[in-house]
Amino acid sequence: MRRRDDPPVTNDSARLRLSIVGIVVVSLFSALFARLWYLQVMDTGTFQALATQNRVRTVYEPAPRGRILDRQGRPLVENRGYQAITVTRHEVQGKPEVVARLAALLGVSVTELDRRIADRRYSPYKPVPVAENVPEDTVVYLREHGQDFAGVAAAAVAERSYPNGALAAHVLGYVGEINDKELMQREGAGYRLGDDIGKSGVEQSFEADLRGTPGRTRLEVDAAGKVLLPALSSSPPVQGNDVQLTIDLDVQALAEDSLAKGLEAARGIHDRASGRPFTAPAGAVVVLDPRDGSLLALASNPAFNPADFVNGIRPETFATLQDPANHYPLTNRAIQGQYAPGSTFKLFTALAALRAGLIAPNTTFVDEGSYRLRSCRGEKCVFRNAGGRSYGRVNLAQALTVSSDAFFYNLGANLWFGGGPNARAIQSAARDLGLGARTGVALAGEMTGRIPDPESRKKAHERYPRAFPNGHWYAGDNVNLAIGQGDTAVTPLQLANAYATFANGGTVLKPRVVARVLQPTGKPVRELAPEAVSRVPLDPGQRSAILQGLRSAVSRPEGTGAGAFAGFPLDTFPVAGKTGTAQVVGKQDTGVFVAFAPADAPRYVVAVVMEEAGFGGAVAAPVARRIMTGLAGTPPGPVQLAGGID
Amino acid sequence: MASTTLPSPSLSRRDGAAPWRHIDVTLLACVLAIAAVGLVMVYSASRNLGPDQTYFLRRQSVFCLIGLGVMGLVASVDYRIARDFAPMIYAALVAALVVVLSPLGSNSRGAQAWFQVGGFQLQPSEPAKVGLIVCIAAYAAHHRGELDGRRMAGALALAAVPMGLIELQPDLGTMLVFAAILLATLLVAGARPRHMALLGLAGVVAVVAVFQLGLLKDYQKDRLGAFLNPTHNTKRSAYNLNQSKIAIANGSITGTGLFKGTQTKLSYVPEQHTDFIFTVVGEELGLVGSGLLLALFALVVWRTWRAAALAKDLSGTVICVGVLAMLVFQVFENVGMTMGIMPITGIPLPLMSYGGSSTIATFAAVGLVLNVHMRRFS
Repeated sequence: MRRRDDPPVTNDSARLRLSIVGIVVVSLFSALFARLWYLQVMDTGTFQALATQNRVRTVYEPAPRGRILDRQGRPLVENRGYQAITVTRHEVQGKPEVVARLAALLGVSVTELDRRIADRRYSPYKPVPVAENVPEDTVVYLREHGQDFAGVAAAAVAERSYPNGALAAHVLGYVGEINDKELMQREGAGYRLGDDIGKSGVEQSFEADLRGTPGRTRLEVDAAGKVLLPALSSSPPVQGNDVQLTIDLDVQALAEDSLAKGLEAARGIHDRASGRPFTAPAGAVVVLDPRDGSLLALASNPAFNPADFVNGIRPETFATLQDPANHYPLTNRAIQGQYAPGSTFKLFTALAALRAGLIAPNTTFVDEGSYRLRSCRGEKCVFRNAGGRSYGRVNLAQALTVSSDAFFYNLGANLWFGGGPNARAIQSAARDLGLGARTGVALAGEMTGRIPDPESRKKAHERYPRAFPNGHWYAGDNVNLAIGQGDTAVTPLQLANAYATFANGGTVLKPRVVARVLQPTGKPVRELAPEAVSRVPLDPGQRSAILQGLRSAVSRPEGTGAGAFAGFPLDTFPVAGKTGTAQVVGKQDTGVFVAFAPADAPRYVVAVVMEEAGFGGAVAAPVARRIMTGLAGTPPGPVQLAGGID
Repeated sequence: MASTTLPSPSLSRRDGAAPWRHIDVTLLACVLAIAAVGLVMVYSASRNLGPDQTYFLRRQSVFCLIGLGVMGLVASVDYRIARDFAPMIYAALVAALVVVLSPLGSNSRGAQAWFQVGGFQLQPSEPAKVGLIVCIAAYAAHHRGELDGRRMAGALALAAVPMGLIELQPDLGTMLVFAAILLATLLVAGARPRHMALLGLAGVVAVVAVFQLGLLKDYQKDRLGAFLNPTHNTKRSAYNLNQSKIAIANGSITGTGLFKGTQTKLSYVPEQHTDFIFTVVGEELGLVGSGLLLALFALVVWRTWRAAALAKDLSGTVICVGVLAMLVFQVFENVGMTMGIMPITGIPLPLMSYGGSSTIATFAAVGLVLNVHMRRFS
């Protein structure tokens, strides 16, 4: 070749220089391989998750909730379907003519419709609802002119509806949007922000059955946010199961109606103690079947309208429900109200004294209108009968009938002085029949009530020395306990359930509110069988003595409930009951009445509590009478308040 | 090498074709394999970009065919003749880089770097890389490997002109390719160790100065920021880098399968058929595929290094090292940026990224290496 003077690369320096190049190249390639290994082997999991997160969007469609039915299968809560107009955003984008047409059809301005379409609350992968409760002809028009409304669709939406209005509101509860706390508690249960959830009542306690399974569609989305069809996977929403209650719509309506009428009537009575009419702001009624614990009615007054919560409650409505002046309508007083049972507690004292052997059914006592604690001086040692009346020589049954306080004061004092197990005999009897503990009814928020004893008194004193200045339990405390006063507190449901135990011969039952869970087709999913919690042995002789007292309380002229039951067909539908009046310092008397019927083979227990409404025999017993009238199969009339005392 | 020892009847028909008997078949095979993989990957990355699924595939195929022709042409003319034309080559490349800055050139994505010719965009800086390699080789050969201070300065000046013109476009990435070529070729062309050390120092100072004096454009800062702090999810570059890494790592060992990469199919990686083509390989062919691809590049680099070592003369060595530097720098920078170990610059992956100028220039560069290699005995 003609190339001159160009030396080949043969010297050592040039070799070295090429080697340097080689070493640099090898290290650079090694770095690439190492990094590749790191990304694709060591760290691939993290990035694969990110890749999936990138491209997969899961869209959920809520399932219609299951219905809530009464014991006969009549709907108490169902779903109302309606037509909503939805718009798929990317399909109407850049098509103002479609938006304009739709605005005209719906009778709203284009600006307003654009605002609804742009609502950020809705997922970009789901059609946006722009109009709800659309009339049928609008939907028909849309369907017929589909080509003019690309991206617009009509969809059926389900929302909670209450065919009986506010009936059984506290039992049913209400549904609302899930909050952060509930979301956290249900982590992993498939709940998402914006989901509906049962907030109280059966809606809450049977949420798992009612909710159903939301539809789930996994979509693949490209970098531009465009959805690639078909969906990766899709499952339709599955409607929740129906829940059938033990509550009977008719009995519930009767109970609520009677309670409301009774409270209304009580507001017309002049309270001599306070010198003004009774305020009678609230009350509760429990109707249950003592044979299996089924609740037939559970009423609480004042009530709320669960329909107010559909699609979110208005703040002003919610404020009304929270206003103390309205006496907290959201509170279910039947399970959350804690009241002194008053003389209705005498059943438990009677049982305690009989079981302790302190008295026999025929043991008599002379009621002189008051009771003086022995070895005690001063006015504080004298306990008087309500109304200051004296009843003379009475046995247990008669004492129950006339509600002789002196008779039971005597039992309370002597049980305490008897010492040993007798000193706690009243508490034991009350607790054996389920007082002082939750009944276990499947409704959230149930209160425990309170059966005080020396220990609880001591504890209360240590914890709240100001409210309980004395940490000791005295004979006087036992005397007060004997007639259901002092710190004693029960919920209306506890009271009814304890009387049910007496009525059914000694079985403590867990009150049932739900009988069974059904598929939407009606096929049973599961039965919630009656549950016995425990068994209390009742001596037949003792039981019959008490029963006789309770029957006479309604049937005999001297009975405290006789006035309320005047004219009631007791011969065909015998009722046994006990009146009570709870006295709370600074408040008007709270009337209490518990009864069961038919007395010889009880099918119903009715407990009525009316706050600041007067004597139990005067106001609560008439309400119970009206309910019993309905239960006996006769049309109930007005609530006729009675006179008398406990 | 079988091909270098066994005489090929078809190639020995003419005496003039004698050098073809010594062609590096390994290098040729690797280059063709990379280009073939590139076509498949360009198709995978671009088929969802528009209604015409094979638009980019067809064009890249044409570029490859032209590239093959150019490679054959470059290989067939004795590289030693090029030394005589070096001044003309240099003048042509400088002229092209000047004219592209004039209104005759066109601006795309913020850089005045293209000539719009019909449906094609010609990027003069790509052939300029190859041209500069030839010119430096000629310069080194002219001075017989004796680069004293003055000649060293001459060589630097030679490179500085095109580099300055490219920075005016501006195209930092390509300018860095030139710098890599310059550094490597000067090293083997006989630069004094002292000068190389000074040059290295100057490079460091330049980098610091660029940062400190705010010479970077906003998009360059953005890219660097994304490189230094990729988890800080600013849009644009950080997004690009994250999606790129996700795509590669998503491939794991065996890949998602050809055309089944979700990052690729759903267009999550911007510029995927051009600068980020490696992510398609990473995602769809996994460690196996991307490792093999890197191995192919390593083979090409090794054959180029070998050609440099076997070259009959200094200019051949310098040419091969120049091509080697160009390939290695581009592969390392491009693949490195997709994996987050290098900052993002717009440098194509040779023979893989969609783009005519780059593909054809790379084929031409490979042609130079084949040229040097097959004439190592003559």
